[in-house]
Amino acid sequence: MDLSTSQAPEFDYLFKLLLIGDSGVGKSSLLLSFTSDTFEDLSPTIGVDFKIKMVTLGGKRLKLAIWDTAGQERFRTLTSSYYRGAQGIIMVYDVTRRETFTNLSDVWAKEIDLYSTNQDCIKMLVGNKVDKESERVVTKKEGIDFAREYGCLFLECSAKTRVNVEQCFEELVLKILDTPSLLAEGSSGVKKNIFKQKPPEDPATSGCC
Amino acid sequence: MASSKGKMKLEDFDEDETMEELERFDDFTLASSWERFISEIEAICRLWLADGPKNLVGKGASPLGFPKNLYKVKSQLKYGTKSYCLEYYFKTESGKNVEWTDDSHTLQLSFGVKEFLVISPLSASGVVLDAPEASKLLSSLAIALSNCDSVWPAFVPVHDPSRQAYIGIQNLGTVFTRRFEADRIGSQVPIKLMHLEGLYELFVSKFSYSTVEYTTTVAKVQFTMKLTYRTPPHEDDDDSAQVREPMESEENSEGKTQGRTQWDDDCPWTEWYSAENPIKGFELITIWLSKKVESSLEMAELENASLYAADKCFLQPILSPYIGNTIGFASQLRLLVDALGVSYGAQFLEDFVSVENPTSDNLKSSAAVPPPTVLDRVLKDLFPEGAQDVDYVKGEHKNSRAIKGAPLESLFAQFCLHSLWFGSCNIRAIAVLWIEFVREVRWCWEESQLLPRMVSSGSIDLSTCLIHQKLQMLSICIEKKSNSIKDLHKENEEKFDSLRTKQTHGLETSNEDFKTSQQGRRGSSGFAGSMMLLNSCQRMHAPYTQDAPLMTEDMHEERLHALQAFGNAFSFSGQLEKDVLSSDMSAFKAANPDAVFEDFIRWHSPGDWEDDNVNVKGKAREGATDGSAQSDWPPHGKLSKRMSEGGNSWRQIWNSSPALPVSEQKLLLDPNQEGEKILHYLETLRPHQLLGQMVSTAFRASIDTISQTSYGGLKQMEKKIEQLYITISSALKPLQASNSSDKIELIDDLKRLCLVFEHIEKLLTFAASIHRSFLDAPRLSEAIFSQFFSFYLPRMGKGLIEKENVKDFNVKEQVRASERQVILDLFPTPTSNQSWRKVLSMGNLLNGHEPLLREIIFSAYDTMSGGHYESSSPWGSSEEIETHRMYICGTSNDLHVALSVTSCD
Ligand SMILES: Nc1nc2c(ncn2[C@@H]2O[C@H](COP(=O)(O)OP(=O)(O)OP(=O)(O)O)[C@@H](O)[C@H]2O)c(=O)[nH]1
Ligand SMILES: [Mg+2]
Repeated sequence: MDLSTSQAPEFDYLFKLLLIGDSGVGKSSLLLSFTSDTFEDLSPTIGVDFKIKMVTLGGKRLKLAIWDTAGQERFRTLTSSYYRGAQGIIMVYDVTRRETFTNLSDVWAKEIDLYSTNQDCIKMLVGNKVDKESERVVTKKEGIDFAREYGCLFLECSAKTRVNVEQCFEELVLKILDTPSLLAEGSSGVKKNIFKQKPPEDPATSGCC
Repeated sequence: MASSKGKMKLEDFDEDETMEELERFDDFTLASSWERFISEIEAICRLWLADGPKNLVGKGASPLGFPKNLYKVKSQLKYGTKSYCLEYYFKTESGKNVEWTDDSHTLQLSFGVKEFLVISPLSASGVVLDAPEASKLLSSLAIALSNCDSVWPAFVPVHDPSRQAYIGIQNLGTVFTRRFEADRIGSQVPIKLMHLEGLYELFVSKFSYSTVEYTTTVAKVQFTMKLTYRTPPHEDDDDSAQVREPMESEENSEGKTQGRTQWDDDCPWTEWYSAENPIKGFELITIWLSKKVESSLEMAELENASLYAADKCFLQPILSPYIGNTIGFASQLRLLVDALGVSYGAQFLEDFVSVENPTSDNLKSSAAVPPPTVLDRVLKDLFPEGAQDVDYVKGEHKNSRAIKGAPLESLFAQFCLHSLWFGSCNIRAIAVLWIEFVREVRWCWEESQLLPRMVSSGSIDLSTCLIHQKLQMLSICIEKKSNSIKDLHKENEEKFDSLRTKQTHGLETSNEDFKTSQQGRRGSSGFAGSMMLLNSCQRMHAPYTQDAPLMTEDMHEERLHALQAFGNAFSFSGQLEKDVLSSDMSAFKAANPDAVFEDFIRWHSPGDWEDDNVNVKGKAREGATDGSAQSDWPPHGKLSKRMSEGGNSWRQIWNSSPALPVSEQKLLLDPNQEGEKILHYLETLRPHQLLGQMVSTAFRASIDTISQTSYGGLKQMEKKIEQLYITISSALKPLQASNSSDKIELIDDLKRLCLVFEHIEKLLTFAASIHRSFLDAPRLSEAIFSQFFSFYLPRMGKGLIEKENVKDFNVKEQVRASERQVILDLFPTPTSNQSWRKVLSMGNLLNGHEPLLREIIFSAYDTMSGGHYESSSPWGSSEEIETHRMYICGTSNDLHVALSVTSCD
């Protein structure tokens, strides 16, 4: 509700980011780690979670609305809602479970193609749980190769040790700030109208043009 | 010749009697006036000579435009009371004088000269009618030019202007003089001169007047020929027919139209309109180069030479003068955009239909609605009896989905295409059609009839426009509504299909038996693999579950909006997903009365059950338990850490979900309610919302239609179409933003988009036409198309090509030997019906077609025999010079002859 107030907003840009990936790869943990510096066991996400974080980057005050979706297949048709209007999409996999990596191309990349409404939206590949190095089955090189092929950013991190968590969001946002079309969408002036149905309009005046 | 000359002279004389008198007076009394005239000419020529072509251009010599890079300067001078205009024609660069190049002036072509002078009286006719006057002018020029050592040829136009007759002279150094003469016969060409043989004899006959001595005359006649043919008008081309028979009754011509075949019959747009062929025909130019002719017999043979014998062969497409006219999708799209502009002015579509509505006059005047019969026909086409299968992907371009409209084959897209051609595509006609359309849709809904051209399964394609999504949803609702609950179950949850088949091989009995034998078990679809329950030694059953509800774009948006409204709420989950989960849990409980939460997790989210067996024996859980299910009971394992935490929301939902099979559950998607909502949406749609989506869909359907045209995969065309998709998709973006602020700007942009569309449509029609003309010579169609492409492209920015610049497209493409057969096919042997019209008489027929024009150059050369000429000859002693040259240009009823003879004065 506070988004539509007419006062000058306390941020320069509002960006919508989205976390996707198989169930259990640690999306919710990653988000919690980023927003509140903690790591605890969370219930598997039902549908979607949503968190706001204010950051200052490159001299700009940014409001990040981060949507954390459920990886469970049962919710997949419903999660398509959340792709709409996202400026950044983070694809997460678990470096200790290969199928979460192969599903990126089999499932998640396709979902992005289908549901993302934003042609220029920035994609980022994140390999999580690098603290479990001994159980690792997906190498860093494989991650890099996939990212290169798919044309996205890449990082490995751990929600548990908080290694690279901050950088992951930071890099993504910096890239968005570098993309004029995304910047225009996120600028606080435009934002107010996003959910408005249509502007009040006087039919009599616009009819005679 | 003589008689017409005399007549003309008389008339002239009447008018300028006094002048004529005066002139003669000057002539005979003042001998110096002629001398003054000569020196005046001399002065002008010296100036021009001194300047040279480059400087003259710098000083503002005017380019002729055609031929290219030919310029002229002029100067006026008086002789007695008469004013004359002296013109100097020149080229800036002195290229080689190649025969039969396009850019030659008539005089250059006629006499084989490069630069030249023309002197003509400043009178209405611009020609000298008086023979003595003409020869006097010519000698004046000759004297003046030799005074300043110029070798420029000079010409004087004589006789009646229609004869395009000239006489001329050229000093060739000190010894030789070339004399020129050209004349024309406008009608009644003597039979002899219609044929090559006679023309050859005409040329040879000129030798006798020569004063030059020849060693070998006749043997050295050179001959080149250029024939221009025009493809016959297509049989169904009404152009010529109407001109010839303007009295033809209407019924008659209508009868003709019905039977005839159009050039674009196989083009995808013909379902909606028939396009004018952008190529009216072709001109074929064949050239025979430098043949040595020794007898008139050879000439007779040449008159029957085949196309294959020609040295060169060029083809030039003739554009239709109608190419600038707006027909096709672009013009209709423009009307639709106009309708969009008007649509902002009303709240309801009904406002446009009702008669008493006092909307502005400009609306009324162009707001004709087609008669009910037409409306009926359109509705029948949109809602045919008996549903047919549709395949949206078929015929779709790879970029189609980038445009937010309905797929070409879908119901709404067809509605939009029909609207384009319904009446004049005005807002009233559209409103009438839409209201009827929605009425039909409601009928289908009430009667549980499947919607035509719609898929009633699958998911909602969010990349399409909202109306199409709504119709997709409605179609699914109708399907669901018409199926009984039992049927609903059957097609539910496809993922259990495999399990069901597996179960029939097991020891256990069939589905029916579970329901009766197991007390309290309801809504089972069969065993869930080989899994056993934790707390009771029973196999786990998979329940039927509800489909996750489908959502159209606006529903997604609403949901997003609702969620966003929570703002900074620390943690929450979507209610809909909770409902789905709760429904699954209820169904699972009903199918497994003795199950616990852990069992549900093992089935629903296996990743959150840590099986001890897996840890020990590896991944093959199925294999480990199969066949020995009972012995392994109870299964070992525990919930994942995150699932077992206290306050786990899953367990909370589990605890609050009653055991209910899907048949007794509240539906996640109530088809009755959803369907009714959709009809409400359609029935109350705001005019501009409808028109906005119509514009998007119409653009998409139009380009999808035209892009199916076969045009031989011409590269530039393919690329342009691809680009157009992208242009359309980005230009239509503002339509989706509900708050597009500046309507006028939006409409302007859309109009611009229509223009871009029109250009591509025109290019495509050309591509389609050229492709159809040369199916067997793709190289030729490619070459001609790219010529047209580069001709057309720069004109795209400035608006369409107009009638005038159609002529500017005069590209000639050389035809390779292997392609000549294809060219011959353009000239079908005329039917007896056609050939009676013309008496064919000039020979050089191509499949029975007479050339449009036959041009011939004869020339005779001679080596100067040395002797007394040697000392003064400007030419080397062994030099050959052209002594006679004759240019002949004609048809069977028009003959133009130009002769130049070099002689030794
Ligand atoms: N060792 C380790 N464990 C992690 C890490 N990140 C997450 N986990 C654990 O992985 C499990 C799943 O994490 P979640 O954050 O719930 O996974 P999710 O991707 O949100 O899963 P869904 O909500 O079902 O899509 C939890 O038990 C986490 O404690 C990490 O970086 N290292
Ligand atoms: Mg989660």
